[in-house]
Amino acid sequence: MYSMEKIAAEIKESARDLISGKRVDLVIGYEKGSLALRSRPCFVSSVEDAGKLVWNSLCTNNLSVYLPRYVQKGPQKRKEDVKPVRVGIVAKGCDVRSIVGLVKEKQISRENVVIIRVPCRGVIDRAKVETQLKGNEVNEYKEDSSEILHLTTVAGEEKTFSKEQFLADACLECELAEPEDVDIRISGTAKQTFPNRYERVREFEAKSREERWQHFKKEISKCIRCNACRQACPNCFCKSCFAEQGKPRWVGAGTDLSNTMFYHIGRIFHQAGRCVECDACVRACPMGIDLRLFTQKMVKDVAEAFGYIAGLSAEEKPPLCEFGDADGQGLITTL
Amino acid sequence: MDSTEKGSGDKEPRVVAIVCSWCSSISAELAGSGRNQYPANVRVVRVPCAGRVDALYIVKALQNGADGVLVFGCNPGDCHYLSGNLLARRRFALIKNLLEYIGVEPERVQFSWISGSEGSRFAALVEKVVEDVKKLGPAKKLVKADV
Amino acid sequence: MEQGIIKKADAGELIAVLGGKYIVYGPVKDDEGVSLSKVGDGEDITFEYSNFNLSPKGLFFPQSEVIYTYDDSVEAKESLPEERFIVFGIRPCDASALLRLDEVYKKSSPEDPYYIRRRENAVIISMACKKPCQTCFCTSVGEGPAAKAGADVIAFDLDDSLFLEACTKKGEQLLDIWSKLLQEPDSAVLESKQRQAASANGKVYALNSEGITQKLQKKFESPIWKEISQRCLSCGACTFICPTCHCFGINDEPCGSKNRRVRCWDACMFKEFGGEASGHNPRGMIDQRLRQRIMHKFLYTAENFGDVFCVGCGRCINRCPVNIDIREIITEGTQ
Repeated sequence: MYSMEKIAAEIKESARDLISGKRVDLVIGYEKGSLALRSRPCFVSSVEDAGKLVWNSLCTNNLSVYLPRYVQKGPQKRKEDVKPVRVGIVAKGCDVRSIVGLVKEKQISRENVVIIRVPCRGVIDRAKVETQLKGNEVNEYKEDSSEILHLTTVAGEEKTFSKEQFLADACLECELAEPEDVDIRISGTAKQTFPNRYERVREFEAKSREERWQHFKKEISKCIRCNACRQACPNCFCKSCFAEQGKPRWVGAGTDLSNTMFYHIGRIFHQAGRCVECDACVRACPMGIDLRLFTQKMVKDVAEAFGYIAGLSAEEKPPLCEFGDADGQGLITTL
Repeated sequence: MDSTEKGSGDKEPRVVAIVCSWCSSISAELAGSGRNQYPANVRVVRVPCAGRVDALYIVKALQNGADGVLVFGCNPGDCHYLSGNLLARRRFALIKNLLEYIGVEPERVQFSWISGSEGSRFAALVEKVVEDVKKLGPAKKLVKADV
Repeated sequence: MEQGIIKKADAGELIAVLGGKYIVYGPVKDDEGVSLSKVGDGEDITFEYSNFNLSPKGLFFPQSEVIYTYDDSVEAKESLPEERFIVFGIRPCDASALLRLDEVYKKSSPEDPYYIRRRENAVIISMACKKPCQTCFCTSVGEGPAAKAGADVIAFDLDDSLFLEACTKKGEQLLDIWSKLLQEPDSAVLESKQRQAASANGKVYALNSEGITQKLQKKFESPIWKEISQRCLSCGACTFICPTCHCFGINDEPCGSKNRRVRCWDACMFKEFGGEASGHNPRGMIDQRLRQRIMHKFLYTAENFGDVFCVGCGRCINRCPVNIDIREIITEGTQ
């Protein structure tokens, strides 16, 4: 039994305790969205507002993307006498790894974050719901403790589905490993097993080179260079992104396919050893580009070549800052 | 016609060789003074250390007219900056795999370690890579078109 | 000819009789759903769609446009686009949005010759809405599911037939070309069309946007901007998919052995949009940028051109990764 209401109640209580006990200035969580299939980020700074917090399978956003705005380590902060903002944050497994990643890369200070770890059993992909309902929009969404979804369409029809069939691709291949260092554990059991880790990447690797190129080209051709993927990603915190530098210029603006490919290759490469597969980029993309197929390749290569999973421990050195004896097998050209 | 399907147009491939300032360029000089001929297809770019080579340099070269990229570094243990070449190894493995994954021919991007005394080996390696790239033909993927 | 009706199954004949003189863009099914794409012989046209992901502004104001190329000499060859085209199936909101772009690129000085030529070369056939989406709110911003603004011809989907009504001289001329294929509609058809329009009108989400322009004049320093922008990722997706947003940037970049000057879409939501050469950025904070976008959309353009620059298409509500709902902003703005 996995009761959304129970978990939400515990989240609210934790938030109230943290705020009234003055342990944090702000709690970042989720609230009900303006549409039936949306929950959205919510910023609570009073005990009364804590009542807005919810928990359900629509809580898709990776909230750690907001942390650098509040708990940034100096010296980026101005030389004013500013007390550091302390933030409580509701985090699923992948989100906790993002937080640890930000701590590791010195973007936020761990002592000013209170991690409220929620037991996640996967979030749903609303595009899959929309496809299933063939264009009939949902007016009301309810989820019971057996993980059955009760949807009422705009036309008044009631339909039930098991959550399983709408799980986001990221959740179908969840890494599952989570860091130990969290502050509050909301009771409940996170999903224990997801088969098929890296299966899509393996299938793609097995395709012919021409097939792979054509698919990459087709996906990247959709890109309108809106930068939503980069903005949604907690790891893309650079004050000056490589894609925006002009002196010298790495990559031109506009949708020339070569430039667009360069942008994506660059962004995906910069995720090496950092991406936690939260799929924030995939959800943010207005064009539905299959970014996951490429970001997950980096995750798989780093895991297999260097035995490293992003975000498990803030003390572990990032893989590209280290070297190992087994590196470079088969890589070096010899005569 | 989209910009990525045009080739460099030349019959001879253009290969960018990124050499580190220590072992690699010493061996390159030695090749020169020892009159070890190597193909003129190669454009040499000198960097302080193979560890300086940003993975995106390789992509930028392929985007802007290079048919192949060859990066030289010192042998593990010999790096003037102690570990530059060792850090480069992981980076190169990842970018090479990523480019191969999206469909770029892996033989276009190659890496080699070389010692400062190996003039003739430098020439031989350059020749080998130029041959590999010649067999693949002009680079068509990723190329920014001559509009 | 002012109006006519044709069986949907015969729509392909309308394309055939054009004899290749026009390129036709229409609703075509692809992997992602339905997009506005080049139509072949008409077999590929679908009528099952709500709206296209991207607005049709890209056909007149392309995401990337090469203005000229140069090497040692600057030879700016101006070649105005010659191709004539028909845009079929865009919704009345999107057709009306083109009139906003006309204010900026056609009626203001300096004129944009490329945009003007494309507008001259195009015939717009809009498709009235049968079933508005939950995110539509066109009637609240002066538009409507059967409104004619911006269309040369308006089409109505009457189940197995298509009813076409000319709205401009250009539309009449096109219907003249098709006159042999179209039947005169009888009164039953006209009644059916009226019923559909009235029904759709009644179904659109309605909110009060009365006086938004005047009220916003006093809200520059209001705390609502900080509140709403808390969850904004500054991703720019809303701006790029919006049918009226029209800002652009110009960049020079090398390509092959030459260089080129490219004009591409830009967004005031991007951090570097307001960045000045000195390094100062007057809109470095997200709340400043969100305020700018909303003010530009509902106040400044109303003052400059007499019309708010929102047509209620709802794309931004649909795609915003953090569910920022412009209807909520309008409601706040009218308080």
